[in-house]
Amino acid sequence: MKRDTSMELKKRILAIIPAYNEEDSVGKVIEEVNTHFPQAVVLVINDGSSDHTSEKASTCGATVLDLPFNLGIGGAMQAGYKYAYENGYDIAIQVDADGQHDPKEIQKLLHTLEVEKVDVAIGSRFIGGSRYKGSIMRRIGIAIFSGVISTIVRQRITDPTSGFRASNRKAIQLFASDYPQDYPEPEVVILLHQCHLKIGEVPVGMSERYSGESSITKIKSIYYMVKVLLAIFVDCFKKPPLLEKEGEQC
Amino acid sequence: MLIKIQIIVGVLSIILLLITFELIRKKRLREEYAILWLFTGIAVLVFSLWPEFLLSQFFVRITGIFYLSAVVLIAFFFLLLIVFHFSVVISKLTNQNKELAQQYALLALELNELKKNGFPPVPASSNNV
Repeated sequence: MKRDTSMELKKRILAIIPAYNEEDSVGKVIEEVNTHFPQAVVLVINDGSSDHTSEKASTCGATVLDLPFNLGIGGAMQAGYKYAYENGYDIAIQVDADGQHDPKEIQKLLHTLEVEKVDVAIGSRFIGGSRYKGSIMRRIGIAIFSGVISTIVRQRITDPTSGFRASNRKAIQLFASDYPQDYPEPEVVILLHQCHLKIGEVPVGMSERYSGESSITKIKSIYYMVKVLLAIFVDCFKKPPLLEKEGEQC
Repeated sequence: MLIKIQIIVGVLSIILLLITFELIRKKRLREEYAILWLFTGIAVLVFSLWPEFLLSQFFVRITGIFYLSAVVLIAFFFLLLIVFHFSVVISKLTNQNKELAQQYALLALELNELKKNGFPPVPASSNNV
């Protein structure tokens, strides 16, 4: 396969939308992705929802991967990357089902992937003109993560908690075999660094979520911070995974 | 006083050993977990049979704790080992469970798509019609 010489149009792109009880917003997100980025195949991961997320998503024309029970965001995302890997997709984009990521910005992520030759492009709320209005607690938390992670990976990462990302084939392969569990976004950055994959950031705007609560409530936010920092600390001592297939060594 | 405690502890450890054996025999307890329980039972039994030999001459002199406390401490140490072992096993099972769920979902999706595309084209029973 000579993927490098083919045009961008021929690249197979998968948009992964993990959804857990998001029946109110998932349809709208799928429609927006289809409208603004029709070349992508939309895959919704139904993470054991108890509502009609799965039916809603397939009605809206998405392929739906139904997990038999709730695995959490890490397990659901990894299932998506496994699908992308097994079905030979070149690029995977992850988009939240709650509508806070604007599908119009997907093009920017792909552009960065292409032009800057990075393996993963992260949409950041904190570069450029985007004005993010989150609670003070959350902004402080993100600033601390950003500082710690930037120090470890020796590269400025302004928004390590952003779940709006595009990955190339190499990163898809890595994620299919190894993906962190509970709150995976910050840990993925460390994992990429350990495997010598390149990361790029793109300024994106994020809107208010259509519905539902963030998975991180106020009371839990401190617990979340401690847990993620601990996980990052442990990650630094973990043996980086080896990639076996496709002749690529991690 | 000591003889009473000796009998109680001895009987308890024998009961523990018997239950462990019985569960292994009925295949309700895997050998890898049973080993730690067997060791726990044997250790406590040995201490109840020869308390002077192992305890008053050696353990008590080193640690200064009395017979029952020593038995409890030893049992507690083994329980700690068992619980730790369980944590490792549960971690492994959780991971395998995740892999299974993902693989199941991927296969189910693939099967649905195959069915939608008309595969198998004709059900075997309707061939005769």
